[in-house]
This record gives sequence, C-alpha cells and structure tokens, in this order.
Amino acid sequence: MPHLEIHNLTVSYEKNKPTLERFSLNVEQGELLSLLGPSGCGKTTTLRSVAGFIRPDAGRILINDRDYTRLPPNQRDIGLVFQSYALFPHLTVFHNVAFGLRMRRIPKKEVHARVANALKMVGLEDFSDRRPAQLSGGQQQRVALARATVIEPQVLLLDEPLSNLDARLRVDMRQEIRRAQQQLGITTLYVTHDQVEAMSISDRVVVMNQGKIEQIGTPEDIFAAPETAFVADFMGFDNHFSAAVESARDGKLTVNWGGAPIELRWHSKFSAPQPGTKAEVFFRADNARLSAGTEARGLAGQVILHTFHGNERRYLVETELGEFSIMQDSAGERFEPGAAVTVQAQTQKWIAIFEEMEQYA
Amino acid sequence: MIRRPNQTRTVILLVAPAFVFVLVFFVLPLIFLLSQSVLPEDGGFTLRGYVDFFQSRVSRVVYLRTLKLGLIVTGICVLMSYPAAFVLARMPVRRRSFLMSLVILPLMTNAVARTFAWLIILGRRGMINQTLLSLDLVENPLRFIFTETAIVLGLAQLFLPLMVLPLVSAMENIPNDVLEAARSLGANRLTTFVRIVVPLSSDGLVLGATLVFTGSVTAFVTPAILGGSRLLLMSTLLRQKAVILFDQHAAAVVAVVMILTTLAVNLLLRVLRVQQV
Amino acid sequence: MISRWMYISLVILFGFLLGPFVIIFMASFGANANLAFPPQGFTLDWFANVFETSQFIDSFWISLQLGLSSTIVSLVMGMPVAYALTRFQFAASGMVETVFSAPILVPGLVVGFAMLNFFVLLGDMHVMTGLFIGHTAILFPYSVRVISASLRNLDPYVEDAAVSLGANRLRGFLLVVLPNMQAGIAAAFVLGFITSFNNVPVSLFLSGPGVTTLPVSMLSYLEYYFDPTIAALSTLLVIFTVLLVQTAERVLGLSQFV
Repeated sequence: MPHLEIHNLTVSYEKNKPTLERFSLNVEQGELLSLLGPSGCGKTTTLRSVAGFIRPDAGRILINDRDYTRLPPNQRDIGLVFQSYALFPHLTVFHNVAFGLRMRRIPKKEVHARVANALKMVGLEDFSDRRPAQLSGGQQQRVALARATVIEPQVLLLDEPLSNLDARLRVDMRQEIRRAQQQLGITTLYVTHDQVEAMSISDRVVVMNQGKIEQIGTPEDIFAAPETAFVADFMGFDNHFSAAVESARDGKLTVNWGGAPIELRWHSKFSAPQPGTKAEVFFRADNARLSAGTEARGLAGQVILHTFHGNERRYLVETELGEFSIMQDSAGERFEPGAAVTVQAQTQKWIAIFEEMEQYA
Repeated sequence: MIRRPNQTRTVILLVAPAFVFVLVFFVLPLIFLLSQSVLPEDGGFTLRGYVDFFQSRVSRVVYLRTLKLGLIVTGICVLMSYPAAFVLARMPVRRRSFLMSLVILPLMTNAVARTFAWLIILGRRGMINQTLLSLDLVENPLRFIFTETAIVLGLAQLFLPLMVLPLVSAMENIPNDVLEAARSLGANRLTTFVRIVVPLSSDGLVLGATLVFTGSVTAFVTPAILGGSRLLLMSTLLRQKAVILFDQHAAAVVAVVMILTTLAVNLLLRVLRVQQV
Repeated sequence: MISRWMYISLVILFGFLLGPFVIIFMASFGANANLAFPPQGFTLDWFANVFETSQFIDSFWISLQLGLSSTIVSLVMGMPVAYALTRFQFAASGMVETVFSAPILVPGLVVGFAMLNFFVLLGDMHVMTGLFIGHTAILFPYSVRVISASLRNLDPYVEDAAVSLGANRLRGFLLVVLPNMQAGIAAAFVLGFITSFNNVPVSLFLSGPGVTTLPVSMLSYLEYYFDPTIAALSTLLVIFTVLLVQTAERVLGLSQFV
C-alpha cells in the first residue's frame, strides 16, 4: 500500500482552464519522489494541494489510507519547506524550530530536547539564539528543514528549496537534504525545475508538463530512456532529427545516417514499429564523434561555430539532417569554422521516439 | 501574492466593516451634496446653481484665480525641487534620510502655524517691510498681506515637500551606471540631466504636480489667513457661501465644482503617467 | 554629476522650507506685541498666555482624544482591508483600492461640508461624534496604504508555514504576521495621529459650540488677535512634532511610508 496516494486530482484557478487535470500519483513509504517540470506545469499546485492550501475541484488525497482531501492544512501533519524558506523573522532559530511543537502542546522539556536534536542534525546547534536575518541563505535553508522535520510529519514537502542558493551551496544542500531524509525515513515530495537536482536526489522522478504526467521512473530510466520528446528535451538531449524507420527487429531499428543504416534502440514500452514509421531520434552532444574531411561512413557536415569549455570543445555542425551540437575532448583535433567534418554516430545512448505515440511533439 | 481559489467569503468579511463605514459616512454625504447642488430647497431638479456659478462674475473670477494660483504654485515647486531632489537622491543614505526628515517636518506641522510665519514676514511691520524701510527703498510700508503673492508664497511653502518626496524617490531608482553611460557616450552634465534624469523621473514629477496642484486649489487655511475675504479662492468662497451667506445650495455647487476640478486633474495626470509607461 | 549650483538649490530649498520656522521661533520670544521684525527684547509671556487661554487648552484635549480615537479605529478597520489587498487576488480589488483612496482625493473642506449637511439630515448628532466620523474616514487611506506597504515587506508564505506547522489562520496571523508588522503599525499610527491632529478643513465645518480642535481654534484666535501667542503655541507644536517625527524616523524609517 502506498503511503501517499493522489487520485484524479483536478485544480483550476480559472474556470475551464485546469492547472491539474485528473492527476494521479502514488508515493511509497520512505520514498523521495521529485516532481520535475517547467514553471506552470502544475508541480507546485500538486504540492500545495497535498499541504492543504488548495482545495481541489475533484479528486482525493490519502495518507496511510486516511482521506486528507477536506482536512484543513493545520491538522494535516505535513512538513513543508518553502522556496523562500518563510522563516519567522521575529523569532530566533530555536523558536522557529519549536513553533510546530508548541502548536502541538508538547511539554517544554521535550520541546528543548527535540529542537536541540533537529538543530544538531542540520549542524546549527550553536545558532539557536540567532534571528533569521543573521543567517546565510544555506543556514536559513537548514533551519527551514529542521523546522519542517522536527514535528515528525507523515509526509515532507519541499518546494524548490534550493533555487535561492548559489550553485556550489546547492550541491552541498542537496546531499544534506537527501541524508536527512534517509536518516528519518520520511516520505518526501520534492518539487524542482532542475533536472540534475531531481536526478541526484530522488528515488523516483515524475516529469510533468501542462498539468499531466509525461513519465515516471527512476532517475536512471528517465535519463537513459525518455518516453516522449518533451522528456527527452527536458533531460538534456541536445540534438534531434526526424527519420523514417527502415526496418525493426530484435529490439533494434534502423534509420538512414549519411547514406548508411544505423541501429538504434527504442523504449521497451512500445511495440516494434512498422517500416516507414516516422521516428524522432534524440542524442546528447557527447554521443557523437567528429573526424576531419568527408569519410565514406558517417554524415557529412560543416563546422559553424567552435567554443572552448576546458575539458571539452563544443561544435555547432550543419548537416543535411539539421544543425547538431557536438562535444569533443579538447585534447583531440581542433576544427575551425568552415571546416568539412564527418559526424560519426555513437548510437548506444541514442533513442528513437515514435510520432504516433507522441502527444506533445 | 498567493493565489487561493474560493476565497471570496474571507475577502468580503475582511473588507466589509471599513467598506460600509466609508460608504455610509463618506460616499453617502457626497451623494447628498451632489443632490443639494441640483435640488434647491424651494424647488425641483435644476442646473440653475451651476449656470449661476459660471455666469456670476465674482465666482468666475474666484475660480480662474484659484486655477491660476495653483498653476503658479506648482511651477514654483517644480523649479525649486528638481535640482535639489537630484542632489538629495545621490547622497549617502544616512545624510539623505536626515535631510528627508527635515523635508517631512513641515508636512507634519499644522498649516495655521506655518502660514502664521508669513504674517510676520510679510506684515506691515514685518521682516520685508522693515528691511525695505531701513534701506530707504520705500517711504511707507508696502501691503503684501491679502495679495496673490502672499497666497502663492504660503501655498508653495506648504506643498513643496509633496513635490520633493516623489521626485527623490523617483530619482533614487535611477542607477548611477545609467548616468555614467550617458557621460561616457559624450553627454555633458546638463545634457545628461535633461535627457536622462528628467525623463526617468517624470513619474515622480507628474505625481508631485498632481499633489501640489490639487492641494493648492483646495487648501483653506492659507487663503483664509493670507487672502481673507478680500481675495477669495474656491475654498474661502465655499465657506463664505455656507457660513456667512447661509446659501447651502450655492455652497454645494462650489463644493461640487471643487471635486470635479480635482478629479479632472487627477484623471488627466493619471492618463499622462500611463502614456509614458 | 552634481555641480555647485545644484548644491545652492538645495540650500534655497531648505531655506524656504525651514526659514518660516526660524521666524516663528524668534517671534515667540519677542517682547513687542505687534509682531514687528526683528523682535525686541526677550519674554516668555506669550508661552504663559498659551496656557492661560482656555480655548487652546480645551481644544488641545479635544484634538488629542480625536486623534487617538480616530487613528485607532481607522487602523483596526483598515488593517483587514490591507490584508485582503496584499494577500488575496480578487476581482473587485481595484474598486476597493479606489474607494479607500477616495477620502484623500476629495478636498477636505468639501468632505467636512458634505458631512455636516448629511449629519444634520440624520438628526441630532453630537459634535464630537461628527468630528470622530470625519477624521476616521479621512485616515483610512493612510492606514490602508502604510499597513499594505508593511505587509508587502513580509513574505506571504510565513503564514502558510505557521499553518503547516499546526496553527489555525487566526493564530498564524496573531503569532507570525502581527509581530512582524509592529513597525508598520507604529508608523501608520504616528502618521494618522499627526494627520488628524493637524487637520483644519474637515474639522472646520464639523466643529461646534464649545467643541473645537486645536488648529481650528488657532485659526479663529487669529481672526481677533494678532500677537505672538500663536507663534509661541506654534513653537510648542513644532517641538512636539519634531520629537515625535524624529523618534519615529529613527526607530521606524517613517519616510519610506510617506
């Protein structure tokens, strides 16, 4: 039995323009599940519905098989970490963390012990008398985490918790949140628009678009095998081109690449395509190789732009199939703009997606 | 702002008490005033009061004088505030906030006290006349009180802060980089001020002008003290009709004309501001 | 970027703004009763006269009561409006904002005149009640605006945080929002009180026999007497205001709300 169940949730701010439409999702006990998607995709609306700040037009929310749908937010027993942290500016760190325990009328002694424990977990035991304004962004984030978890909630919700931090701190905090979550074994819903963040922190990732689920899976699954063009694009497949399937057998299909067939895999969820089916082929910049001149095998192209990134060089190459962005080890040969090159496909990590199964192409 | 669906009831509960108060004790009296201006006690609906107002030479002179003095006061305030506001806006924060509190101070003192000072300055034996007499520039003291000059000076001093404040806050928002960019592109100081600072602070200027002008054409204390019954403005005319002549109908007409004038100015300048955006 | 003549303009500005106060100050200590300038001699008689003139003392108490009561009521009623405007999106918010800014848009003298006529229509209303209603109505714009500004400075999600931690909406407001609005409330209070305390136009028509506000009684004193008593009283009021405003500015940064 899943710990958190969302059934056919529908929310509209404006009439007949639902932000969420018949959205369903199950989260297992102790699992960290990310809702990943661009702004306006409905991920924050989902989170605020679970928290109880939005009353859905239809659908149900269950935690531990108990119906939460009509329960006011202050009776839900849910820990919430906000994008802005939303710390109480007039209270010290200690009183911020103790707030939820006070509301629950926990005896003073126990409050002290539990707050001390929570602050220790986030490494802020020496800061309990400070005001939020006297803390750095990362420290405020930790207080917010301690405040949301000290009440030992059924479910922890995090709404873009790292978006106000700088890049390096974000990586540290990611690990810290993950560690605390595993330590407490708490069922967690994590909202983000950052695919790297979602992949690195989650047990499973839900990619959302326009109020609907595009794909659910482990970070590895979603990274390697997107089911839709939207997911492929969102997961950092830099390049894509359209092609007609020539043949398909043994889990491999072939399409034309510079006059010769190349073998590609497709998502195991789909049945084998008929020859002639239109496919959209996706690959990342580092899954192709450039060689100088025009070779017999491979796709002919011309370098348009070259940029240097330290360990790699990135080339923009124009071919008959379109412009591709291709990354090469910077130790290798350097191609100047205008140079004729051949693009060699390294197809192990390429993926084909079929148009008729594609809703948002 | 947080979007919450279905919050109409909460909003109504929050707004209702004050809303009803303003409706009953502010909006209703104004509606009653409007009805008084078109319904004289001895007859039915008529626009006679308005026709009389604009046909009577006295009230026409008073109305035009009020508008004229309002324009002059606004002009004086703009000229006095613009460069000074720029200096204030570029100052270090501590010094600026001290000086700004000095700008606000007059705003927080009652108009009777502030206007009284002009009696001492402009009076028969006041500062200016004593100076002129002692320099033998005049033989007899000049009459300043009950002149338009006196009213203009009093009103300008009264409303100057209302021009300085919006100008400073508009100019604070002009980044220094923009000014340096203009200088680096070859503009001299004056050109930079005229072509960069003025357009970028025009919002503050329009707001300030609205406040000063509407304040000037409706102020009561200053024209009452420095103009008296000899030099009437709209506000002192209203009082005269209501309290001395006991003509509530005519007084209501004057009051409605004052409201319409300020509303027209507010609308006009709001349109100006919207167009600039 | 700033040239010398611009600094001169600053000197002129402050000279014009503050010069009259210097003159009032000097005149209030001068011995000559006819306000000739420069004042001759030194006396505190005019200050004594202020305290011996019962119309000033009576009207001071009335202004004080009026200022406190109308400010408090306009704050208590204006705060929920400011809360609704800053925390909810609703269709009529533009209309609500217009209604609550209207009392500044309408000339004060007209407000007082219209109210007087209306109250006469309503029947026998106590003069003090009329003044209280008039002042409360004109203070709404200030209360709503200052409180709104202070609410906008507070992260709206802190209330949701309090609720998610188990507080109901009212408790969330009392425990989390209100303590963070102290500065805004105090600023609104000072601003509202001063506005009411100095108001002439609205009070002028609404004042009645024996019930007059301080500025209105100063004005009527001027109709009969022309001596430095008003200068002395003005000096006292300026000192009172400076203390109030400087404290408020230092503690709260009042100028950001004006």
